[in-house]
Formats: sequence, C-alpha cells, structure tokens
Amino acid sequence: MTQGVISAFFIFLIFSERKAVMYCMAEILSVGIDIGTSTTQVIFSRIAMENTAAYFAVPHVSIVDKRIVYKSAVHITPLLTPVLIDGEGVRDIVAAEFEKAGFTPADTDTGAVIITGESARKENAATVLEKLSGFAGEFVVSTAGPDLESVIAGKGSGAWKYSVDHACVTVNLDIGGGTTNIAVFSRGDVTAKGCYDIGGRLIRISPEGRIQSVSPAAAAAAKAAGVSLIPGDRADMQTLSAVTDKMAELLAEAMGLLPPSPLLHQVKTPGSTDFIPPDKPARICFSGGVADCIREDLTGDPFRFGDVGPLLGRSIREGLLYRTIPAMEAGETIRATVVGAGTYTTTLSGSTIAYDAALFPLKNVPVLKLTAAEEEAAFRGGEKVLSDRMAWFAQQSGSARMLLSLRGRRDPTYGEVKTLAACLARAADLALPPGEPLLIGLREDMAKALGAAIAPLLRGRPLVSIDSVQMEDGDYVDLGRPLMNGLVIPVVVKTLLFG
Amino acid sequence: MAEPERIAAIVAEVMAQLRRTGSVTLPQNAQPREEGDCDDITSPACRKISLLDHPQDPEALERMRGRTTARIGVGRAGPRLKTRTMLTLRADHAQARDAVFADVNSALPEKLGMFTVETRCGDKNTYLTRPDLGRRLSDKAVETLRQRCTPTPDVQIFASDGLSSTAIEANLEKILPALTDGLKAKGLTVGTPFFLRFGRVAAEDHVAEILGAKVVCVLIGERPGLATAESMSAYIVYNSYVGIPESKRTVVSNIHKDGISAVEAGAYLTEVICKILEQKASGVDLVK
Repeated sequence: MTQGVISAFFIFLIFSERKAVMYCMAEILSVGIDIGTSTTQVIFSRIAMENTAAYFAVPHVSIVDKRIVYKSAVHITPLLTPVLIDGEGVRDIVAAEFEKAGFTPADTDTGAVIITGESARKENAATVLEKLSGFAGEFVVSTAGPDLESVIAGKGSGAWKYSVDHACVTVNLDIGGGTTNIAVFSRGDVTAKGCYDIGGRLIRISPEGRIQSVSPAAAAAAKAAGVSLIPGDRADMQTLSAVTDKMAELLAEAMGLLPPSPLLHQVKTPGSTDFIPPDKPARICFSGGVADCIREDLTGDPFRFGDVGPLLGRSIREGLLYRTIPAMEAGETIRATVVGAGTYTTTLSGSTIAYDAALFPLKNVPVLKLTAAEEEAAFRGGEKVLSDRMAWFAQQSGSARMLLSLRGRRDPTYGEVKTLAACLARAADLALPPGEPLLIGLREDMAKALGAAIAPLLRGRPLVSIDSVQMEDGDYVDLGRPLMNGLVIPVVVKTLLFG
Repeated sequence: MAEPERIAAIVAEVMAQLRRTGSVTLPQNAQPREEGDCDDITSPACRKISLLDHPQDPEALERMRGRTTARIGVGRAGPRLKTRTMLTLRADHAQARDAVFADVNSALPEKLGMFTVETRCGDKNTYLTRPDLGRRLSDKAVETLRQRCTPTPDVQIFASDGLSSTAIEANLEKILPALTDGLKAKGLTVGTPFFLRFGRVAAEDHVAEILGAKVVCVLIGERPGLATAESMSAYIVYNSYVGIPESKRTVVSNIHKDGISAVEAGAYLTEVICKILEQKASGVDLVK
C-alpha cells in the first residue's frame, strides 16, 4: 500500500471507529463446573473476543479478555457410598449456584463440566455428568481424564501464564483430594503432563479422630513408610506424618529430584501418561486444596477437614521439593481446576474458514489425525489410504462422525489445494455414509481455500473446514455456533471420556 | 604421520573439543572456502545468526527474533550498526528497489491466459514520476480491452505490477485461479483477466468505465519495504468511475507467504466480493 493511501484511509479509520466497535467485539458467558474428589465448585467467566487485525487486513479474531464474574463457595462433593457420587446432591449444589450467580443455563454459551481426580473413577461418574449437562447450556462439554485435568489446573493456577510472561519453564502441581496432577509449561507450551494418586483425602479421619478409610495408594505409601493404617484405629499424628512424608517424597521422585522407586510407578493414576520431569524448572506452582496447607503453618486441629490434607501440606513444605525448586505464588489454589475449566477450555478457530452453519453445535466428535505419510499421500491425491483409515476409524469408534485433523501447508499452491480437496471429497464418498458431514481441522491457515475447493465436489454433503486448531489422535472436539458475524467458531478440544 | 596430516588432525581435534564445549558454533560440514566465496547475507540461514555479543538469555533472544522481521538484537559497534547489519540493510533495500524496477516476467501472464496492456506511462521512470499517467490506460490499451474483454461482467479482475513486480510473480499464480473459480462457483460472471504494466490502483476506475463492470478488483504489488518485497494487495471497488473517492475502495493487504497466503486470500476475496455485490457498496460503505 502506498503512503498516500495509508494517510488517506487513516482519516476514515477514525470515523469508522464506532462502527468498528459495534461489529468487531463479542462476549460470551462461560461456565466451569468441577466435581473433584473432595470438592465441587462452579465459576462463571466472560470471554471477550475482538477482531484484532488491521482494518485493511484479513480479519483475525482473538480472545482479548477473560474475566471471572462469579466464584461459588467450595462445596464438599456429596457421596452416597465411597464408590458412588450423590448425583442429585451435586445437581442441587450446581442449581443453587446458578441461582446465586443470577444466571440460567440458557445464558451460558460455552464452558466445561469436568469430573476430576478420584470422582472420575466412581461407578456412576458418567451418569452424574449426564445429569449436569442440561445445566450447562447447549454448548458445554463434559470432560475428564487425568492428563487434561493437569493442563487445565496449570492454566487455572497461573503457572501457564507465568511461563509465558517470564519466558521460562514452570511446573504446576495440583494436589487435590485424590490425585496430584502435574503439568510442565515451557513458555506456554505443554511439554509434559501426568498424574499420581497422591492427595490429601486418601486417608479419611472421622470426627472422633479415628481412621475412617484408607485408599489403596495410601496403604501402599504406608507400607513403604513401615507403618500400618487400620480403619478404626486412633489417628496418630506421627504415624500419619510418616505416610504423608512418604507421599511428599514420591512427588520429589516424580519431579526427578530422587531416583524413582517402584512405588512411584504403582501410584501412577491409571490412564495418565508417563510424566517426564523437566530439566530445570524456573518455578514450581502448587494448586489444589493441599496447596493452601503448604503455605500455612500447621495450626489448629490437623484433622479439621476430616483428612490428612494439612499433614501432607506440611510434609511437602518441609520436603525436598519445596526446598529445591523456587515456588511461585499461585493465582488460584483450590479453585485452579474450576477456573481453568471455565476460562481456558474454549479456543477460537481461524478467521477464514468454511462451514455449513446448520451443523452447529457439534459435540464430542472424535478426532482422526492423519500421519505425516497419510497426509503426504492425500496431498498427492491418493484417497485410498485415507478412505481405508476413515473406514477403520469409523468401525473402531462405532460412528461415522469424525473430524479429520491435518497439518496442511503454509502458502500452498492452488494446485495443491485442489488436489487435496478432490482427494478428501473422494475419500468422504468412499468412507462416509451419504449426508454424513465432512469435518476437517487444519493447523495452517488454508481452511477457507480448501473448503471452497471441496464444496462443489461434495454434492450436498455438509462441510466444515476450520484452521488454526491443533488436535491429536484420541482427542474429541466440540464446535459451537459461529460468532462474530460468522467469522469464527468456538472450539473445545478435550480428551474424553469414560471407557 | 606427515607434518600437514598431523596439523590437520590436531586442528580437527581442537575444533571438535571447542564444539563440544560450545565455545564456537560452526556450520555443519563447513567446507574450506574458495577465495572470493562469501555468504548470501540475505539468506534465511544468515538472517538467523544473532549479532548481539554476550546476550544474557540467548534462547529468549532467539525467540523474540523469531517473532518479528524487525532487526532486533543486532548489537552495535560503538554508537553505530555493525557492518553486517549495515550490509544486510543495503541488500534488502536493493531487493526492494529491484522489486520496483524489475518487470514482471511476460511468461507469467501468458501462462495464466492474460494478455498485457499498458498505462500511459510508457516506461518505469515516467511511471515513478507521473502517478497521474499510471491511473489511465493508454489509448491502445483501451482499444485492446474493448476488443478482447467480455463487456459488463459482474466482476472484472486484473493484475498490475504497481510498485512490486516481485509480489506479482510470487502470488498471482496462486491467487488468480482460486479467486476466479470461487466467483464462478457463486454463479457470477467473471470478466477476461489481463495484466496492466505501470499501473496505479486508480487505474481500476478507468477499467470499470471501459468495461462497465459492476465490481473491479486489481491485484497489485505493494510498495516494498525492508521486510518483504513480496506483499500484494487487492483493491476492490463497486460501480467505479474515474475520480471516485479513495474511501470507496475495499482493501485487503498483506497477501504474501508470511501474511495471508495467496490461496487463502483468494477464498476470502471471493466472500468479500460477494458481500460487495449484495450490499452494492464498497470501501467504508461496506458493512463487513
């Protein structure tokens, strides 16, 4: 653009500013509901988005602000029996919090109901989530899975942001009732995650000061510490401290400060990935209910919560972990997971995309990520590899609905886009039943061009082609209704579900 | 062992040690240089080399440099730029000048089925010194357009060198078919495309008058800067005439491989042009 034109348009830019504000901002209400091992919480936040591109450039909508507008009290997760969550009880808590916050389920645009820690392993976890999904509006996801929880908690606690702001490596330990979720952030990238069955509520203490229940992981830790915990026995500070010391030691092992013992492997949460400790984290961040017990001195009744959380907090504070890696102040401790769930799960697609609007919202769509070789074949026009994989995937997942995840190419030629489009259209014909939409997610910014090239070839099959999204095999995605005059769609990438 | 071989062995050993300790970084399989050989300082590999001495956090510096094409972290010699920075600046400036002064390879419009016409400038120097002449087509061009172009199309697209022939060579082949196919798929009539030498943006107004097109879109090379010479813009105008206010133009700028890629821009422009036709308005009158 020539200089003259820039200054000429600059004047118009000023005049059109009001119009720009009217058309270029949007705000959505997001709800986060977390049903953890020991606590249940609800938060509401407003997520603001804006077209941040220059007036003369192609639009680029991004999230510009996230504001928490309501935080619920921390409720104890109601249980019917040690293996059954009181679904009605949870529902009542959530209903009451909606009312207190002044919102109805219809007000919410997005968000997440997540069931975390030991709660996820309760027999009726899936049913409980189902009961809640109606609460949380049309486009609210229910997610679970130890890895995702780790990342969500690390974002909610502020560890992720610290790693971005200070361009360093941070590690977040979200120590809750049943599990410790660990995530490592390197300048905003998640570089490692994992989960261990270490938490403050693994041993429960009755109001009379007796041991009420001992989880298998706590029993294993007790055994390693050379003490025995028998339900019904008097809760003895020294014995229990020996067990929590052992737990703190296991966390130090997990962080690579001590050589890993066989016990560490034993307490790894089923379904979590193997955690690989970072070389030199600049900061460690503690969140979760136990985090508050690390900071505070152990005063008052150590068993006031009916568990060993305060003891575990003290063990960590006096242990190797706390002394070795400098700690950072967490923005949220006990609320980290719910804040993360409510504010960090929704992302936006690229702003030049193609779709049939009638399809949205789409929920729980499994992701089929093409390997580099498969993608290469697709770019060369070989649909056979692709359709075989799609058919196999449909058979595995029991449904023909899937989202194809591709990397795409930066600055492709039109020929490349057309070849790929033709290949995808043929593969869809071969592998998908008539009328089943073709859903495509790309990393590189080429979705609109690809969508435009595919659409005429689909003969009426609906299409979604979005970009600037990153999804892995095994992920599930929710795609919400288009926002900002249809420029973008909200995307939630999650790792589900119940087996 | 003969003397030269021993020396070579010692040198290799010392270099290997230095590399291990990180005291020096050498390019992989560095070849002994021929006399007169030198690096291409404008190559991506050379641009990556940080010139800042003793950075406190080399990794952070590299990350920051990766996020911008601005010349940051280049260090200095006393109060001045280092020789290498100075030379790179001059090389980039030379590239920018080349982009302005070069001609678009005539094979490119031919390949895309475009014929070539000129404005009233006649040569590059006149083009640069007489913007007014660059806004009007030559008499011969007017005649050619009348003969060879389909009149009164919904959309007339043409390309022009503008201030960067390099931009046209980098992007035209990618964007033109994407845009044309997109518009045709929407059921619009697309005029016969052509290439205009020595063109300014407002030449599109003259084209609109000659052909009676509802919408004219010129794909034109942007004045190159020191960051890229490959940036192209699309200026789109509805119901244009010679002398139309600049505010009536819709602009999509920054079309190049590090901005919006040409093919994706083609798909986006299709949508913008459809909106312009729907609303019968362009520029600031268009509700995006």
